[in-house]
Amino acid sequence: MENIALADPGAHLSIWALFMQASWVVKLVMIGLLCASIWTWAIIIDKLVAYSRMRLALNRFEQVFWSGQSLEDLYRTLSDRKTTGMGAIFVAAMREWQKSFEKGAKSPLALQTRIDKAMDLALTREMERLEGRLGFLATTGSAAPFIGLFGTVIGIMTSFQAIAASKNTSLSVVAPGIAEALLATAIGLLAAIPAVIAYNKLSSDANKLAVRMEGFSDEFSAILSRQIDEKVAQKA
Amino acid sequence: MRTGLTTSVILHAVVLAFGLFTLSSPPAMPAANVESVAVDIVPMEAIAQSLQGDKKAVMHEKPAPLPTKRPDVVPNAQKVGENSVDTDKPVTDEAKPKPVEKTSAPPPAPTPTEKPAAEDVPKPQEKPKPTPATEVAPTPTPKEEVKPEPVKQTDPKPAPAKEPTPTPPKETTAAIQKEEVKPDAVAQAIAKEQPTEEAKLPDSAPAPEARPKPQPQPAQAESAKAPDRKDAEKPVKEASSKPKSDEKQFNADEISALLDKQKPSGGGAKRSTQQASLGGDKDQGQKLSKSEQGALEAQLGGCWTLPVGLEGSENFVVVVRFNLDTNGKLDGRPAVEKSSGNRQFDESAVRAVQKCDVAGLQVPAGKQDIWNDIRVTFDPREMLGL
Repeated sequence: MENIALADPGAHLSIWALFMQASWVVKLVMIGLLCASIWTWAIIIDKLVAYSRMRLALNRFEQVFWSGQSLEDLYRTLSDRKTTGMGAIFVAAMREWQKSFEKGAKSPLALQTRIDKAMDLALTREMERLEGRLGFLATTGSAAPFIGLFGTVIGIMTSFQAIAASKNTSLSVVAPGIAEALLATAIGLLAAIPAVIAYNKLSSDANKLAVRMEGFSDEFSAILSRQIDEKVAQKA
Repeated sequence: MRTGLTTSVILHAVVLAFGLFTLSSPPAMPAANVESVAVDIVPMEAIAQSLQGDKKAVMHEKPAPLPTKRPDVVPNAQKVGENSVDTDKPVTDEAKPKPVEKTSAPPPAPTPTEKPAAEDVPKPQEKPKPTPATEVAPTPTPKEEVKPEPVKQTDPKPAPAKEPTPTPPKETTAAIQKEEVKPDAVAQAIAKEQPTEEAKLPDSAPAPEARPKPQPQPAQAESAKAPDRKDAEKPVKEASSKPKSDEKQFNADEISALLDKQKPSGGGAKRSTQQASLGGDKDQGQKLSKSEQGALEAQLGGCWTLPVGLEGSENFVVVVRFNLDTNGKLDGRPAVEKSSGNRQFDESAVRAVQKCDVAGLQVPAGKQDIWNDIRVTFDPREMLGL
């Protein structure tokens, strides 16, 4: 019957007061939504930073790659450090190339296939790293409003029970309970809206990066294929 | 990831802190302390209602009472009020001096003289009178017989003229005088007894204006006053002719009682002792509401059978007017007020009213006044849905 205190006209309507007046279910919902919001924003910030870094790295690598530097030199410098994006694909392909030629590969066709496989694997691993946790944004964007609504319905139910108990239907009795209940929906929307927007933007950004890396891997595959043919011709 | 998480947490903390301080307790909405306006739904009839009264009169809090409150005073009263007399006078501000003097002057004069005379003398004398009359009758001509009878019969109750009359017949029987002598004797006796009062009487006689009856009074006064000038036969004839019609009703003793002592002012509320209130010529208060009219028409429509074989009967419309008494029964035959042009059709509508009356018309109680006169339009398209 603590909810009868809702009849207190408009005294405690600050957000903190509303939160404290809510029942534990609604509190739980609000806290969960707040955590989801925090995590959503953490992901957004992280991804934005990661994508911008990736973009920079791609640009720098392309610059270096097309500067006319020999592939062996480039491999030697990149293999020492931790690489991302195109660098990782390049390192994976060159590693496979080196291993095969050091041991003296017999079949150039099989070598080509192995290099392609290694580049695909590296690309997939890079894409996983790029698109990881974007699913959480999608889930938050679609589910948070419903979770907030659930909190609202619970809050309104309890406030109506309080009204029935107090046998008074004046607006000052009804309003605080409804305001408290609507706070849950507000928090849900607060978490969901940035999540949806960020998910759309980040997934499209990730797509662009993926396309860029696939294009590089195809191109590099073509270059390596030409190199293999030249080596085979020299040997022959 | 750690950087993202920390920035996110910091961002949320900042936003929440900002929200807690700025969004705390929004200012109360200023609600104007205006009292709510009560809205009533009033039927149009309540505004259009007006009670019977006088158009020129001042409006009073309480209107003149309705006739139904005292139906026992005058059963066939036509005007509203509680007066004993049904006057039709217009409103005047104050009573005129004339009628007041006239009405006030005579009563004191006759009462002292007449009443004792009438009480004491006439009753015992009435019975002996016919005998002297019969005694007298054989001797003089039949005209004489006629004459003394009315004189005696009319006279005994009214005092001044009649006291002398019984005495002269005795004289006449004794002396066998002629008829002409009697009026003289009467006149002389009157002159002897009350010359002054009788002089007043004729003045008072013409005073009552509203009455058609007062004519006999001046005639008698004349007969008593001026027998010398006129022939004796004329007053006799007049006297003889009048008693035949008014023998029992007319009583000269009660002239004063019959006089209209009501002041001419205060009219309007016809028979009311109260001043009239502002109002119209008729009571327009109660009317049949649309729903009541519709209910009545629905009942009549149920009783209505269109004449068989009448081509295009749905195009005819007839207005029938009929009266209902207070019990809701038909009073008289319904009249066709506005004929449809087809006699059969008109008759069918009249029959519908009569048939419904036999079955019993359901009329709302409390509106008996308006059942007096009802007009119903018989339109097959509306009543029967053709």
